[in-house]
Amino acid sequence: MKITRRDFLKVSGGISAVARVGVPFSAIAASAKQAKAAEPMKQGKGVETRYVKSTCCHCVNFCGIEVKMENDVITTIYPDKERAPYYNVGICPKGVSGIFNTYNPYRVKKPLKRTNPNKGLNEDPKWVEISWEEAFDEISGRLKKIKAEDPNKLIWQHGHGEYLIGDKFPKAFAKAFGTKNLVHRTTTCEAARHVADEITWGYHGFLPDLEHCNLLLNFGANYYEGEQFSRWLDHATVDGQERGMKVIVIEPRQSHCAAKANEWIPIRPGKDIVLILGMARLMIEQGHYDEDFLVRYTNAPNLVGGNGEFIRDDKGNPMVWDSVSNSAKAYAEGVKPTLNGEFDVGGKKANTAFKLFADSIADVTPEYVEDTSGVSAKTVVRLTKELVDAAQIGATVVKDGHKLRYRPVAVHTFRGMAAKEFGTQNWRSGLVIQMLLGNIDAVGGINLHSVYKQPKYFEPSKAEYPPKRVDLQESVFFPHATHNVAQQVALTMNNPKDFGMKYEPEMQIFYATNRPFSTSDTKAQFESLKKTYNVVIEIVMTELAEMADIVLPDLTYLESWHLSPTRYTPSSKHTAIRQPMTNAYNIPHDAYSILWELAKRLDIRDEYIKHINKNWGLKTYPLEAGKDYSARDATEHLWLEKTKGKEFDYALKHGFKGKHLAVKDTYLKGVEAKFNGPGKPKMNFYAEQLVGSLKNITKQVKANKISKSKINLDYYALALNPLPKKDHAFPAPHKEATDFPFYLITYKRMYRNQAGNTALNPILNMLGGDTDTNFILINRAAAEKAGINNGDELVIETRVGKVQGPAKLTEGIRPDTVAVSYHYGHQSKDFPEYAKKGIWINTVLELHPDVVSGMNSFNDTKCKVYKA
Amino acid sequence: MTKLVRVIDMERCMGCRSCIAVCFTENHITPDAPWNVMIEHEVGQYPYGRTVFATMNCMHCEDAPCMRACDAIGVKAISKNEFGVVLVDYDKCIGCQYCSAVCPYGVPQYNKTVNSLYPEDETPYESLSAADRHPTHRKKANVVEKCTFCWHKLEKAVADGKTDRIGQDPQYTPSCDLVCPVNARLFGDIDDPHSAVSKYIGEKKAGQLKKEYGTRPQVYYVLQGGDF
Repeated sequence: MKITRRDFLKVSGGISAVARVGVPFSAIAASAKQAKAAEPMKQGKGVETRYVKSTCCHCVNFCGIEVKMENDVITTIYPDKERAPYYNVGICPKGVSGIFNTYNPYRVKKPLKRTNPNKGLNEDPKWVEISWEEAFDEISGRLKKIKAEDPNKLIWQHGHGEYLIGDKFPKAFAKAFGTKNLVHRTTTCEAARHVADEITWGYHGFLPDLEHCNLLLNFGANYYEGEQFSRWLDHATVDGQERGMKVIVIEPRQSHCAAKANEWIPIRPGKDIVLILGMARLMIEQGHYDEDFLVRYTNAPNLVGGNGEFIRDDKGNPMVWDSVSNSAKAYAEGVKPTLNGEFDVGGKKANTAFKLFADSIADVTPEYVEDTSGVSAKTVVRLTKELVDAAQIGATVVKDGHKLRYRPVAVHTFRGMAAKEFGTQNWRSGLVIQMLLGNIDAVGGINLHSVYKQPKYFEPSKAEYPPKRVDLQESVFFPHATHNVAQQVALTMNNPKDFGMKYEPEMQIFYATNRPFSTSDTKAQFESLKKTYNVVIEIVMTELAEMADIVLPDLTYLESWHLSPTRYTPSSKHTAIRQPMTNAYNIPHDAYSILWELAKRLDIRDEYIKHINKNWGLKTYPLEAGKDYSARDATEHLWLEKTKGKEFDYALKHGFKGKHLAVKDTYLKGVEAKFNGPGKPKMNFYAEQLVGSLKNITKQVKANKISKSKINLDYYALALNPLPKKDHAFPAPHKEATDFPFYLITYKRMYRNQAGNTALNPILNMLGGDTDTNFILINRAAAEKAGINNGDELVIETRVGKVQGPAKLTEGIRPDTVAVSYHYGHQSKDFPEYAKKGIWINTVLELHPDVVSGMNSFNDTKCKVYKA
Repeated sequence: MTKLVRVIDMERCMGCRSCIAVCFTENHITPDAPWNVMIEHEVGQYPYGRTVFATMNCMHCEDAPCMRACDAIGVKAISKNEFGVVLVDYDKCIGCQYCSAVCPYGVPQYNKTVNSLYPEDETPYESLSAADRHPTHRKKANVVEKCTFCWHKLEKAVADGKTDRIGQDPQYTPSCDLVCPVNARLFGDIDDPHSAVSKYIGEKKAGQLKKEYGTRPQVYYVLQGGDF
């Protein structure tokens, strides 16, 4: 293919024809000749340059930044090189372009009030500007009434707002106000992965130990383009590959991660779990698993009775089959658990959890994997061998005097395995295979974050009914949804009685989120917003803002204070602040001060302060009742508390304080401390608590006569199976939409988020000819067979609806799959046309949430594709 | 002598385009005339086909065809200074685009208009007066523009007597070489045999593009996917 540089020079975006007058300037050539002279070229009347250290908050990576200010104007954003040993060495194009997150004529600059009572994306809200005083009066008036009647009728929802001021302030406000309804966005991100972690090892979050890993299997994580921990995973992976680490990326569309991997395995969408189970089957069949790890750290040897629950002793402790006494006993000193087998316990047959798993995957042969996933049987066998060989099961290494398990292999994912109907079970399979490898918290394996921090995650869900929260979190509907259920609020609002709600919310406050635009099957989302009085705190007029009754302007991350969230690595952590550099449109409030003002007007300020202190753990430097605190004051208190008194001037100058972890803190505080050996809790190879959850759900269904159309117990039994199984690779559209030949998946590009502000960023819109819009990625051979050429206008038709957009032919996608990135095609009436380009793919995605975690299913839909 | 060169390691580059974005902000982009681009293209066929990421800016050739062409017609708007940096004088440029025609790398960009970034309003970023901008940032319509190796920063290093810090201190280093999330770019003095760029070029076998033109570029690539 002939590539010319000029092919890539097309620049589009919001460019006017308004030319500005060029000005004469001195001869550069002459100055170049004099370059060694002491004086730089004269630059007009003079520019005062200064640099400010802060933390980026364009996404969830929170990179250290150094901002150049010229005459108090932000002119360039660089990475903070001091932060490199702790997290990011560079920054992404969104971070670089963050200047125009702040300098944006489309910013909301004054409070706006809707005068057209009809709501809808096609309605003109007929905004009028109002004063802050009027806005606060109206909002607090409504809040007072709700607080007196039933505080739960207020819903607070945030997305990115969690990171702008932290969720602890909104949570403190919600607590002081009295509402249980505070909803974050994680089920539109990766919640199922977190819930699988929690069910399995008592908390969530992990990273591959890339400094020592030799083989990384990445199932659809796209850290080169955008997700949590990207700005560490990127350079650590590249460094690892230079050191000799092999990276294999398994995903239907070739992401940038796959493009740079040693090998790309284009698997059929949703079938990752089948490949993993097929590999696990081979490992067990060939005896290639870490028996010591499974016995000492996990519940794989536990004896399971016919009801799916563990057989317990008189004290309630699960029993194993002791090979010393040849009897069932709790795992205590002197007991040698048998990993694999069927035994007679008190006249009843009992299998070890390990045996149940092995039996359950007996039919997941390489040939079955090939038929189901499109990954050849030969590849399955070869991949398993590579994994096992690289794992060096049984090996140890000495670091800093500590003898540590050495398993330099890691399995990683993010939305790739999580954003699915059975997302929790999908990632459970990833954790199970890593228990077989014994690489968890091993040198070179995966490093878990805060192991067993929440023992309650090992308990069955109470499956409450009626639901207390409008998002149905941890209710009978979503029993283990511990990260809220973002997309469910709208669905409950539309039909509250269907879900047994005892109250109907009247008011919603949204902070820095574009929720209805960002979830599947969006029509229902927008419909729900007609039912409540909506306040939106935002920097630009998103689609959600168009559905508001009042819109309040917010400050950007370059204009406001906060103790920033940060990301850790396996060997470091740090505390950081954000500090303002400008206030481009002289906006007097941000979400922090809005909350503070509302707390005062509602007469709950001191209660709010009490909960702020509790939520943030402010003990040495608490906020005092009876006082008002600016955002800067609060940030200083938080900094002092978190850094144990490090002077705030240090934060202002450096932006952060970092720490490198000792070897023992990286490898010995997790599963070694919490799970290793007799008498300790165990990693849930077998998630017995799900059996308990199903029992509780069954009780609630019977007691409350919940219809089968609302809760189908057979379906919940499948979703809550204590072991991942091949059936979890078949979401509803794969089984039902048989007339729709293509799999439809979505993905993220580096240049956008869904909130809307990036669509208005001129730099991000002109990073080549392809960043201001999206397209339908289709396999070149498949397209040519169907007579589709590059740029042809195509229709994607699903069971939910139709969208249209241009074809982009590529070698980087499976022939049975099409992909569309999910953050284009804005609809807001207050956006210019150039920000609306592209396909709003979310609107045709089917919604079949993972009922375990509440996770939105973004990658399960099937579709037809044809020329428009 | 000091000869400044850039090394771009395509094996490390993961195609994020941060280097492009920061070039735009650092150098007050005029959208018609980007100084830095990403050439993203595919090689091979499914299931083995892969995307290749290559960023490209001015090569600052030792024997710069653009300068030869400009000199040949007597305009003499293009110069190469003693650090090897090739610059365009917007006041002398007549917009003939001969330089664009002869550059084997397609570098010089003709700037038809100078537009504000937003059609609706000028931002504070753009309101910095022309007089307060470095001459390379005083954009004009109907002239050719291109990458300057962030000459405004190098010039400052010269003025501060800190040429030894070029490529090391952020304020003396081209911005595209600062923001890379995966350390795929280096900048420094190739005349110093012990500099980071000298070592990298040798150890990773970095080479120049389109050598057949004899332009001797001062940008080196650790190539992936072949010359482009």
